[in-house]
Amino acid sequence: MFRVARDVLAGLRALFRRDQVEQDLDEELREYFEAAIDRHVAAGMSREAATRAARIERGSVTAVKQHVRETGWESRLDDLWQDARYGVRTLRKSPGFTLVAVLTLALAIGANTAIFSIVNGLMLRALPVTAPEQLAMVSTVHTVEDGYTAGFNYKVSEHIREHVKHLGRSVSWSVFHSRLDLAQAGEADRVDGLFVSSNFFNELGVVPLVGRTFTPDEDRLAEPKSRVAIISHGLWQRRFGGDAGAVGRTIVVERVPVTIVGVAPPQFLGPEVGRAFEIALPIGSAPLVLHNEGWGAGGFDPSYLAVMLRLAPGQSLGSATTALRGMHRQIIAAAMQPNEIWGENQVEQLKDPFVMVPASAGTSDLRRQYSRAVVTIFVIAALVLLIACANIASLMVARGAARSRELSLRLALGAPRRRLLQQLIVESLILASMGAVVGLLVATWASDALVTQMSTWFDRVTLDVTLDWRVVSFTVLVTLATALLFGLAPAFRASSLTPVAALKEPVSSGDSGMPRFWSRSGLVAAQVALSLLLVITAGLFIRTFDRLLAVPLGFDSNRVLVVEVDGSRTAPAPGARTALYERLASVVTQLPAVAEAGASLNTPANHGLTLVSDYTAPGMPELPPMERRAIVNFVTPGWFHTYGLPVRAGRVISASDTRQAPLIAVANEAFARKFFPGHEAVGGTIQEAIGPPERPKESRTVVGIVGNALDQSLRREAYPTLYLPIAQWPTFFPEPAQISVSVRARSGSPVALARGVAERLMTVDRNLSFTFRPLEDQIDAASHQERLIAWLSAFFGGLALVLAAVGLFGIASSTVVRRRTEIGIRMALGAQRRDVVRLALRQTILATAVGLAIGLAAAAMLTRYLEAMLFGITPLDPVTFVAAPAVLGVVALVACFLPARRATSIDPMVALRSE
Amino acid sequence: MAPADKASALVQGTLDMLILKTLALEPMHGYGIGMRLEQISHGAFQVNAGSLFPAFRRLERDGLIKAEWRATENNRRAKYYALTAAGRRRLAEATREWEAQTVAITKIMRATLGEA
Repeated sequence: MFRVARDVLAGLRALFRRDQVEQDLDEELREYFEAAIDRHVAAGMSREAATRAARIERGSVTAVKQHVRETGWESRLDDLWQDARYGVRTLRKSPGFTLVAVLTLALAIGANTAIFSIVNGLMLRALPVTAPEQLAMVSTVHTVEDGYTAGFNYKVSEHIREHVKHLGRSVSWSVFHSRLDLAQAGEADRVDGLFVSSNFFNELGVVPLVGRTFTPDEDRLAEPKSRVAIISHGLWQRRFGGDAGAVGRTIVVERVPVTIVGVAPPQFLGPEVGRAFEIALPIGSAPLVLHNEGWGAGGFDPSYLAVMLRLAPGQSLGSATTALRGMHRQIIAAAMQPNEIWGENQVEQLKDPFVMVPASAGTSDLRRQYSRAVVTIFVIAALVLLIACANIASLMVARGAARSRELSLRLALGAPRRRLLQQLIVESLILASMGAVVGLLVATWASDALVTQMSTWFDRVTLDVTLDWRVVSFTVLVTLATALLFGLAPAFRASSLTPVAALKEPVSSGDSGMPRFWSRSGLVAAQVALSLLLVITAGLFIRTFDRLLAVPLGFDSNRVLVVEVDGSRTAPAPGARTALYERLASVVTQLPAVAEAGASLNTPANHGLTLVSDYTAPGMPELPPMERRAIVNFVTPGWFHTYGLPVRAGRVISASDTRQAPLIAVANEAFARKFFPGHEAVGGTIQEAIGPPERPKESRTVVGIVGNALDQSLRREAYPTLYLPIAQWPTFFPEPAQISVSVRARSGSPVALARGVAERLMTVDRNLSFTFRPLEDQIDAASHQERLIAWLSAFFGGLALVLAAVGLFGIASSTVVRRRTEIGIRMALGAQRRDVVRLALRQTILATAVGLAIGLAAAAMLTRYLEAMLFGITPLDPVTFVAAPAVLGVVALVACFLPARRATSIDPMVALRSE
Repeated sequence: MAPADKASALVQGTLDMLILKTLALEPMHGYGIGMRLEQISHGAFQVNAGSLFPAFRRLERDGLIKAEWRATENNRRAKYYALTAAGRRRLAEATREWEAQTVAITKIMRATLGEA
């Protein structure tokens, strides 16, 4: 539109040719003036009278110029620019205030941005693939409810893929965590592996940096052609120094030579958010690379695969779900190879109806694990920001009061109130922006540090937390909201003066008016209430962590080294492997530095696959299958002593419990209590009660009871557990490919044993590979998330405490200063120091008390949302709810009384004279 | 201060319309416009520079009048304003609206005085 263009141009001209425009106007006004004089003179007035009349007609030159200036849109911009420069000058004049405010804001805004970037990376960001919105996962109803990623065995996933061709194109990949060994021998060099369908990279639109992707004939099960791999950018840099010649070279994966055909681009981390793959192989290569016959076709099937569809245009999630459910019966038939417990489990899972789930942000088990915690910390960080705002708001109110002279002078000179308000808000925005800029720096560092903290030995977490548009917009929004929160009310307060106030004495004498009182006290109460809420939350999480650590492990975890041995490449003569594993334990025990050693299928908190089985005992009441379940761990004789499990009755496994000897078992107390309630378990017989009818059911004699020990989770109570001799491994089970050897050092750190143990193990069989880990690391990881949350909430709680203390101190100080004269007069009239102090701080302390009450009430109502994350305490834990207000109360009192003491040292004469 | 009060009673939009009308007859400089308004209204409207100059600026920005530096009768340099084509159109529009408003208000006022 021409009009708009002309307006814009004229405005720009006014901005950039300021002098020219001013000159023009001057000249025009001058001419106006002269013309007015001429006219009056022509009408008969004297020169002076004419001039006077002309002056009236012209009015104030400044006023006319200002009115003319205001007609243009550019004057608003100009005003804003002026306000900004003035604001910066004012802030520079009070460096103390500015520094404190900017630092506080930087911490608060930075923390919020950091947490949000984690939320973004974990939950919001779409996969860096083509058209992520078209992607959907095949899942089942219960899997979705539990928050897991659905996985199917190879036969099932292939069947699904064959029959959904009309719904869209499908890709699949392995959902189990594959840590593949790239070492040639001995100690393992494990990297995260991913098995994918041949069209995986192509379908997702991930273009390799170097080389190519897989071809369909490279994905045939167990074909030699499938021994190809695509490595990640990170692995490419680390191992090959980014050399393009890496393509075509061979890399050894689980002792199998594999040809590298491509390198993935750096931004693609995999289909699962939170995990990054380092090497991708075709699913067809799994049987060659993973020498794991599995424990039955439905058991630990290495081809545990997820299926994702790129929906064809026109296909909705609903229609795809319906179509899949229509094929359900056929798919169940494809899965039916049941000859083990796990086959039956698979069928159980498959009876669960299908549902298609949108997958633009990929899948993630990390999400399920951490989303509640992340959201909680996010809320906490937001509350800290609110406290910071309240803090700065009270500082701004004090500043406004100190500047009342300047502001009312401007009012008296004719500034519109709106302009003053604008000025003050611009100052707040500048302050907030400075805080935000520093905060962004803090956030980049903090979010990286947090992600690193989230990793454990088992879960190497990789999250993309770079600042993308979402994070930046979040920061901008938060900055604006913050500026308004702490700036708006003080700005209104400061600009609501009368010009007369400029003539009055500065407002340090006498008591302030009612409105000011309420605002100050309101801020005090708000800060205290929010702080209390955060301190209570921190207290709850710290107590939870403490309670978790206090859970008795049931064994001695000091000085124990866990060696995870992979025996999948050793000669599999029947019965030979278990004998091999027993030799491992005895060979290691011979080392002088080793006190004890024992081998076992599982070690505490090892994230391994737990064997379970159902049992019956004579005289036991009839129970449904789930109630008859026990965990089964196979161990060597030395194991009990290595862990220091207390023997409650009978004996433990010994060398005499061989394959030929009678089948025995050692039970834990929980087992004894459940299966032999009220009478002696030792000597009793237990019968396996699960499995296909054609398989013989084992019957074992219980020879001993040991104390309860930690299995996998610290939160779960002791579960009935049976320890069976490795030598008596059931003949119908394929022997385990992996075994753990636990080694207790005589003294000193268990890590020092690693070298010696490695050498010893190699003498038994060169084809073994192993990974070392102190048992303590495993146990610590079991409380890892609680530790993280406890630390973070303690940090924020401490921050809240400090902010509240500083805020209270500031308000109390300014109160004392403001009422100096009054205090002086009272003391001159004979008031006691005590009374003076009480008087000066009555309002502040009252506000603090109110704040504590509000905070307590709010906490009582809100902490129930944390229940799922707590352990060992209730959301209304009395210890926390008493200690937190006490701590905060003491801190508040100290913060108030320090300036109060200063008040009592006021010399009345000095105070009076200062007026 | 009475004349100023009267002048401030003029709503911004009305002043714009009056200026356009004044310029419809011939191009004029600022003081001349003010004088003409005073003359034609027989002293009822006395507009000062504080209202006129912003109005000129507004009308110029909106493209309804255009400005030109010329010599006055007294051989001084002054800014002369003239109507543009758009200005003429707007004046016609405003005149129509004003007349319609006046008719309506008059009707209401007459009706209140007891007529059916």
